[in-house]
Amino acid sequence: MSETNGFEPKIVAYVCNWCTYLGADLAGTNRLEYPPNVRLIRLPCTGRIDFNLIVKAFEMSADAVLVSGCHPGDCHYTAGNYHARRRWMLFRPLLEALGFDLRRIHFTWISAAEGRKFQQVIAEITESARKLGPYRPYEANGESKWRPAGLPPPKRRSGDDASLRTTARELLAEGKAGVVIGRGERGPVLARKPEDADRLTWNGASKIALTAYLKRKEVRALGKPAIVAGPADLRALNVLEQESQIRREDIHVIAAEGPGAAPPDFSDLDALLQLEPGERMAYWAGEFDRCVKCYACRQACPLCYCERCIVDKNRPQAIDTSAHARGNFAWHITRAFHLAGRCVGCGACTRACPAGIDLRLLNQAAARAAERQFGYRAGADPKAEPLVGVYSLTDKEEFIG
Amino acid sequence: MRNIYRPELMQVIDARRQTPDVKSVRARFLDPAAGRDFSFRVGQFGIFSAFGYGESTFNICSSSNWRDHIEFCFRKTGRVTEALWEIDEGDTIGFRGPYGNWYPMEEWEGKNLIFLGGGIAMPPIRCAIWYALENRERFGEITIVYGARTVADLVYVDELDKWAAGPGVRVIRCVDPGGETPGWTGEIGFVPMVFERAGVPAGNSVALVIGPPVMIKYTLPVLDRMGIAPQDIYTSLENRMKCGLGKCGRCNAGECYVCKEGPVFTMEQLSRLPTDY
Amino acid sequence: MSRIITEAGLRELAEAWLRDGQAVAGPSEVKLGLIQYRPITAAARLLFDGFVHPANSIKEFFFPRHEPLYRYRLEGSRVVLEDCEPPAVKQLVFARPCDAAALPVLDHVFNWDCADEFYNRRREATTVVTLACSRYDDECFCTSVGLGPAAEQGADAVLFALGGGAFEVRPTTAKGDAAFADRTEESDRTATPFAGPPRRVALPRVEFDSPVWEDATLECLGCGACAYTCPTCHCFDIVDEGNAAGGMRAKNWDSCQFSLFTLHASGHNPRHAQPRRQRQRIYHKFHIYPEKFGPILCTGCGNCARQCPAGLGVLNVLKAIEASHAEHLPA
Ligand SMILES: Cc1cc2nc3c(=O)[nH]c(=O)nc-3n(C[C@H](O)[C@H](O)[C@H](O)COP(=O)(O)OP(=O)(O)OC[C@H]3O[C@@H](n4cnc5c(N)ncnc54)[C@H](O)[C@@H]3O)c2cc1C
Ligand code: SF4
Ligand code: SF4
Ligand code: SF4
Ligand code: SF4
Ligand code: FES
Repeated sequence: MSETNGFEPKIVAYVCNWCTYLGADLAGTNRLEYPPNVRLIRLPCTGRIDFNLIVKAFEMSADAVLVSGCHPGDCHYTAGNYHARRRWMLFRPLLEALGFDLRRIHFTWISAAEGRKFQQVIAEITESARKLGPYRPYEANGESKWRPAGLPPPKRRSGDDASLRTTARELLAEGKAGVVIGRGERGPVLARKPEDADRLTWNGASKIALTAYLKRKEVRALGKPAIVAGPADLRALNVLEQESQIRREDIHVIAAEGPGAAPPDFSDLDALLQLEPGERMAYWAGEFDRCVKCYACRQACPLCYCERCIVDKNRPQAIDTSAHARGNFAWHITRAFHLAGRCVGCGACTRACPAGIDLRLLNQAAARAAERQFGYRAGADPKAEPLVGVYSLTDKEEFIG
Repeated sequence: MRNIYRPELMQVIDARRQTPDVKSVRARFLDPAAGRDFSFRVGQFGIFSAFGYGESTFNICSSSNWRDHIEFCFRKTGRVTEALWEIDEGDTIGFRGPYGNWYPMEEWEGKNLIFLGGGIAMPPIRCAIWYALENRERFGEITIVYGARTVADLVYVDELDKWAAGPGVRVIRCVDPGGETPGWTGEIGFVPMVFERAGVPAGNSVALVIGPPVMIKYTLPVLDRMGIAPQDIYTSLENRMKCGLGKCGRCNAGECYVCKEGPVFTMEQLSRLPTDY
Repeated sequence: MSRIITEAGLRELAEAWLRDGQAVAGPSEVKLGLIQYRPITAAARLLFDGFVHPANSIKEFFFPRHEPLYRYRLEGSRVVLEDCEPPAVKQLVFARPCDAAALPVLDHVFNWDCADEFYNRRREATTVVTLACSRYDDECFCTSVGLGPAAEQGADAVLFALGGGAFEVRPTTAKGDAAFADRTEESDRTATPFAGPPRRVALPRVEFDSPVWEDATLECLGCGACAYTCPTCHCFDIVDEGNAAGGMRAKNWDSCQFSLFTLHASGHNPRHAQPRRQRQRIYHKFHIYPEKFGPILCTGCGNCARQCPAGLGVLNVLKAIEASHAEHLPA
C-alpha cells in the first residue's frame, strides 16, 4: 500500500455528528477517496469528546488522533465547539509537558459541506503519521536523568500562635465553630474541644491542604468549620466558592495574609520543557513507575472533591485501576486535566505522594497555559467565572486546522 | 502451578428474566470432569465471572441434589451484573467455588422450617427450600413467607405454586402496600407483619431470614415474641467480597472472615460479632 | 569467629546475580532525599547505610501492586484461559529487619486453607538479606512489637555493619548460606549489638467499641499511603482489564482505608466513616490477625507514620488508645 516499509498508521477520528460526520459522508457520496487508515467514531459534539477518549485511542495503539466538529458559530448545540476549543488550549500544554508528540493530535473544523476538506485532512494526517512512524505510548526510550529542583520548603507564616489559639478556643467555646481546622506539630489538627486549640500553630506541619477537610463528610458533620488559612488555602476557598462547593459565610476563616499575588515559580516546568519530548515521556514513565495508586494526591487536594472520582467509576471503566504504565498515565493525565484552571498551586499533591512524584509540574503546565492564554490565575478572584466552563469567541485557535 | 484464582468455565444452558432487573441463570461445567467432581452444600456461594468485566459473588440457588447443573440468580446493579445480564444460552462464564459455610440441614432435621425472604433474597433461600422438599420426610412443617416491593419484583413466582403444593407446606406471598396489582391474591404488607399475622406455630422451629437490613431488623422481634431463640434463627450475610478465599481482606466482620466462616450465621453468632456488616 | 564481607563484596554479590540473569532489589536513591526499595540493574545503585527506612516496603517483590492472574481470549461464545505465572527468576532482596519480619507474618494469610502460589513462588525464589539497623527515627517502634534492629525473622542472612565498609554476615537459612558461600572471610571482629529505638508503646488492648477511633483518627483522609507502604498490609482487589477480544484478570493492591472498599450494592456501607476504616486497620493488625494466625500484623517499621500525609500512623493511634485506657483507669 505504501512506500514506508509497509507501515500503515491507525488513525482514530472522533467527529461530531452534525458537521464533520456529514462532511465525511459527503466525501463518500462524492467518491472523494481518502486513506482507509482512519476509523471514524461519531459523537454528538466536540464538546462531548472527552480527552480520556484521546488517551484511550493511543492506549489502543492509534498512531494519530483527530477531533473534528462544526466551525465556530455552527455548533448544533450552540457552543459545544467553543468549550472544546478552550479545553484544548489547556489540554495541549499538558500533553506537551508529558512528552506526547503533539504532531499526532489534530483538531479541525469541518462542516457538512466540506467533503473535500475532510478528504484533504485525512490524507495529510495519514501522511504525517506515516512519516512519524508507529506510536508507542508511554514507552520510555531509556531513563531520564533529569530531576526537578522540587517544591520549595513551605514559607513561614507571620501569624502569632497565642492569638490563633485564643481565637480558636473562643470559637469552639462559644459554639461559633464546631471544628477548627489547622496545623499542629505533627500534622493537621481538627480541633473540636476548646482545649484542642492549644495544639494549633501557624507554622505546623501539613502535607495536605487543610481545605481538603472541607469536603469530608465526617468533618462536615461537626458543624460550622473554622479554618486556619494560608495564602494557598485562601485561593482554594475562592475556587471552591466559584464552583459553588462552599458558601463563604458558612466558613470562618482565620488568616494572617492574603491569597498572594506573586506569580508562581515555573522554573522546573521550563526546565522540563527544554527536554526533547521523548525524554520528557521517559521522565514521566520513570516517575509513574513508582505510582502505587494510593490516591494520596487526590485525597490531599482541596479541589479533588468529587463524591465519586472518575477512577472509582466502572461503568464505563475509563481508567484502568491497575498501577501499571497505562493505568498510571491515564490516571495522571485525568487528574491533572480535571484540575486545569482550578489548581491553586498549593503543592499538597506533591507533598502527600509517598513515591515522591512531582505532580505539581503537570498542574503547572495547565496553570501556565491559563495565565498566558487567558491571564487567569485560579483562586485569585472568587468572583471570576471558572476558566473551564465558560468560553470566549476570541479564544485562540492557531492549533485548529 | 495451582492457581486458586482461576475459574472453571461453565456454559450457560438457560438465562431467564425474573423481574425487570433480576435474572436467573442455569449453567453446566464445560469440562465434564469438573462437573463430576463438583459438589456443594446449600447455602454456599460461588464467584461468577463475565470475562472482560470481572467477578461477582452470588449464592448457588439450586439444590445440592441437582447434579447436572447449578443455578444462580442476580440483580443488575453494576459492572459485572450488567455484563452478565447480556449472557444467553451457549455463552461461557467463569465460576469459582463453592465457598463459605452452609445451612446445617442435618441439624434442622425433625424441625419445623420457617423461611422468610425479601426481594432478591429469595435465591439463597430457594436452595434450602428445594433441598427440604426433596427430603420432605426429614423435616416438619414448612412455612415460606416471601415478599417484595411490588408484584413485579417477586422472583421465582412459578416455583412458589410448586412449593405450596407440597405436603405440609404453607406459602405466603406479600407485597409492600401500593405494590399490588389488580389481580393480586397474596397478602399486602411487609414481611415481618404478614408473618406475625399468619400465626405460625413456633414450637420446635428454625427460621432462615434473609433480606434487606430493615426487614431483618423488624423480623427479629417477631421471632423473639414467638419464642424462637437466636441460635435457631439463621441468616446469610452479604459483606462485599473479592477473593472468597480469606485473603483479600475485604469481607471481615471483626475476626470473622465472612467468605470462610460465613456467610451463614445464627443471630446468636452475629450478636457476638463486631457490627461490621 | 565471624564471617565478614566488604561493601564491595556485597556489590559483587549483587552484580553476580544480575550477570546470572537473576533479579536484585534493595534500597536505592530514587531522587534527592527519596530512598525506596527498587529493583536495580546495577549494583552501584544499592545503598547499605545512611538512611533509616526506605519510603516503601519489600512486599512488592512478593505481592506486587499489580499481578496478572490469567489471560482470557474470547472466541465467539468460547473463552480460552491461559494461566499467568510469576517470573521464574530468583530474587535477591536487601531489606531492613522490619520488612523481612513481615514475610513470615504474611505467609499465614496467603496459605491458610488454600495456598496463593503467586506469593509462594516468589517467596521461594527469593533470598532476603537484611541490613541490621544502626540508627532509628521518631517513627520506628520495632522494639515495641517484639522485634528490633537485629531481628532475624524472615531473613536468610543478616548483615551487621562493622564500620569501615565491612559487614558481619550471619546466615540464618540454607538459602542465606548459599548466597554468601565463598564470599566471606573469617574474622574476629563481631558487631556490637545496637539496642534500637526505646519502647514507645506498650501494646494496648484494642477495643472495637471505643470513642478513641473518632477522637484520634478523624484527621485520616482515606488514602492508601499507609497501607501501600506498609510491609504487612495485604488487601487486594481482583479486576478485569481488556476488551472484546481478550484481556486479563489481575490482583491489585487495595486498601481498607478507601471509602468504596466495603460499599455494598444496596448502598449500605458497614464502614461508612473514616474512623471506622481506621478502626479496621488497627483492629486487623492488633486483634484480628493475632487472634486468627498468631502474630500481630505490624513490624513497627513506622512507614505508616512517615508516609501519612495527615500525620497519623499506627504508633500514634496506639498511643492514643493507650492514653484513653489510662484516662479510664480509676483514679
Ligand atoms: C455471599 C454473597 C452472596 C451474594 N448473593 C447474591 C445473589 O444471590 N444474588 C445477587 O443478586 N447478589 C448477591 N450478592 C451481592 C452481589 O455480589 C453484588 O450485588 C454484585 O457483586 C455486584 O456486582 P457488580 O460487579 O455488578 O457491581 P459493581 O459494579 O462492582 O458495583 C456496583 C455496586 O455493588 C457493590 N458491590 C460490588 N461487589 C459487591 C459484592 N461482592 N457484594 C456486595 N456489594 C458489592 C459496589 O460497592 C457498588 O456499590 C451476594 C453477595 C455476597 C457477598
Ligand atoms: S500520591 Fe503518588 S503514588 Fe499515590 S496515587 Fe498519587 S502519584 Fe501515585
Ligand atoms: S497543587 Fe493543585 S492539584 Fe496539587 S493538591 Fe494543590 S490544588 Fe490540588
Ligand atoms: S502498620 Fe505501620 S509500623 Fe506497622 S508494619 Fe505497617 S507501616 Fe510498619
Ligand atoms: S492514616 Fe494517613 S496514610 Fe493512612 S489512609 Fe489515613 S491519611 Fe492516608
Ligand atoms: S472475600 Fe477476600 S477475604 Fe473474604
